[in-house]
Amino acid sequence: MSAENKQIREIVTPGQVIASDPELMAGRGAIREANGDIVSVFVGLKEIRGKYVNVVPLNGLYNPQIGDKVIGRVIAKTPVKFLLDINSKFLGILKPSDAFKRSHRTRGYPKTMGTYRLPRENDMDKLKMGDMLICKVLSGSRTEEPTLTSLGQELGLITEGLVIAIASTKIPRVIGKKGSMIALLKNLLHCKIFVAQNGRIWIHGRNPESERLLIEVIYKIEREAHTTGLTDRVKAYIIKEKKNRGIK
Amino acid sequence: MPILVPEPHDEVCFREDGKRLDGRAVDELRPFSCEVGVIKNAQGSALVRHGKNLIYAAIYGPREVHPRHLARPDRGILRVYYRMATFSVHERKSPAPNRRENEISKVIREALEPVLFLEAYPDSQIEVYIEVIAADGGTRCASTTAASLALADAGIPMKSMVVGVAAGKAQGKVLLDLGDKEDKVGQADIPCVVVMKDKSISLLQFDGEMTLEEMKLGFEYVLKGAEIIYQKQLEALREKYNKISRQAEIEDAELSKETPKEEKTASESTDTAVSPESSDIFKSDVEAESAENTRSAEINETPEASETPSTEGSETKTSQEDVSSVGKEAKEENTLSEESAPSEVPPQAGEDNPTGDDK
Repeated sequence: MSAENKQIREIVTPGQVIASDPELMAGRGAIREANGDIVSVFVGLKEIRGKYVNVVPLNGLYNPQIGDKVIGRVIAKTPVKFLLDINSKFLGILKPSDAFKRSHRTRGYPKTMGTYRLPRENDMDKLKMGDMLICKVLSGSRTEEPTLTSLGQELGLITEGLVIAIASTKIPRVIGKKGSMIALLKNLLHCKIFVAQNGRIWIHGRNPESERLLIEVIYKIEREAHTTGLTDRVKAYIIKEKKNRGIK
Repeated sequence: MPILVPEPHDEVCFREDGKRLDGRAVDELRPFSCEVGVIKNAQGSALVRHGKNLIYAAIYGPREVHPRHLARPDRGILRVYYRMATFSVHERKSPAPNRRENEISKVIREALEPVLFLEAYPDSQIEVYIEVIAADGGTRCASTTAASLALADAGIPMKSMVVGVAAGKAQGKVLLDLGDKEDKVGQADIPCVVVMKDKSISLLQFDGEMTLEEMKLGFEYVLKGAEIIYQKQLEALREKYNKISRQAEIEDAELSKETPKEEKTASESTDTAVSPESSDIFKSDVEAESAENTRSAEINETPEASETPSTEGSETKTSQEDVSSVGKEAKEENTLSEESAPSEVPPQAGEDNPTGDDK
């Protein structure tokens, strides 16, 4: 795999013929022309995986996929649902039944003997406009607004820390190969990070100084996402800056 | 400051030596340069300088359509807003959109639509804002060039880039890329937009009189000029990223100079008192990069990585040596493309990260 992928760092442009081998197939970000040429449709990095030629776009909008974890901001409410800005072309829909746990109470017997639901408080008052939530995409497609849930492990209302936004196409680079980059950031800066697929990153540093350095580092990763040897460079940068700024 | 030409213009478009008034040959373009990523708030943007034209284009979207009744359930819509600044021409232009601007917006939209996959964005719109800061003839062509660059910069899928360039006729001679005066006093003007992949024409307007032979010659000129502009477009799109790559290479070179020193200091520290952070990182890196193929190794990665180095100094030393050998390989493999599979990343239960996700 590595031998194949080493040569593949070329930046391609829309309309550029990236392969004309009839055995190769057009993968993500590429189309096959009538004359057999495979043509890129993005400005991106060309890669060949097996028999597929892909183009990894360097910029673009987030497209929600089922199961993605996203960070959304409540920007509108209707009587029955919250509408969240999730940095996509659609607003995410969060219904109260997906946002809050229902409280059940037993009648003093084991649970199997039956429970009754407590009368629900007004769930629509529980979130304010502007609240940030970590959510998971339950459903949605090219033509439908995605429905979200904030019930589950790691999900829910954000009460502390900061949320910063980068291009969603650069998110894999912030995570790193097998999570190496994020492990680096956590270990060196002793911070909590949650990287959402829609290009938003929740961070909570130990102190404002390390938080500020972390933000700079994340923007550096975003800027240099297409370059090689990023992990080493980021590591050196953090160590240098920590020394300069006196961050422990 | 441009020379003010009294109205009506004299018809002279050539100098005595046979060249055009600005010193160009008949089949020569005005100086052209372009740049992408100039507007930070936009999804994609471009700046084009074509002669004395100065044009910005910005892309927003795909996003929701307002008013909603314009949305189409089967395909997205493209909306182009071509506007001239009040100060872009000699006499103040009223800021209100006029008939000419609406028409040019329409023809640019129709020139761009064939290269976009609008059917991939049902119920949504892509907005193209074009602002002419300085006008010097041929703004619709330069605007199309700018819009095409901005669309590519925004990451919107396109079949091909498009290039706008005009041919025309003045004083009986066929010309490429008319300037302001040639446009006004000339006998014909043909703004063209060329789809560069197959050299097809997606916009053709014609104003004036020409013979068929002259028209054929005009198209030859257009294709020749479009090719030059196309190469500059590609260069601009790549330059945005190559600039950063070059900077990164310089940093890499500096880093490789400094590394021997760092290794020394690190090994010294391991001899005396192990600095928990640095060795921790080295370890996690080694494991992350060496455990490439085996899934089991991936899963074991985190607990080991988050272990505090209770090991002896000699062991940490060897791990650092591994880094120096493995790191070089990993450096080259470490591309965006390879890491673009977040679903493969195993969930890590970092101790210091109760809410964090390691994806």
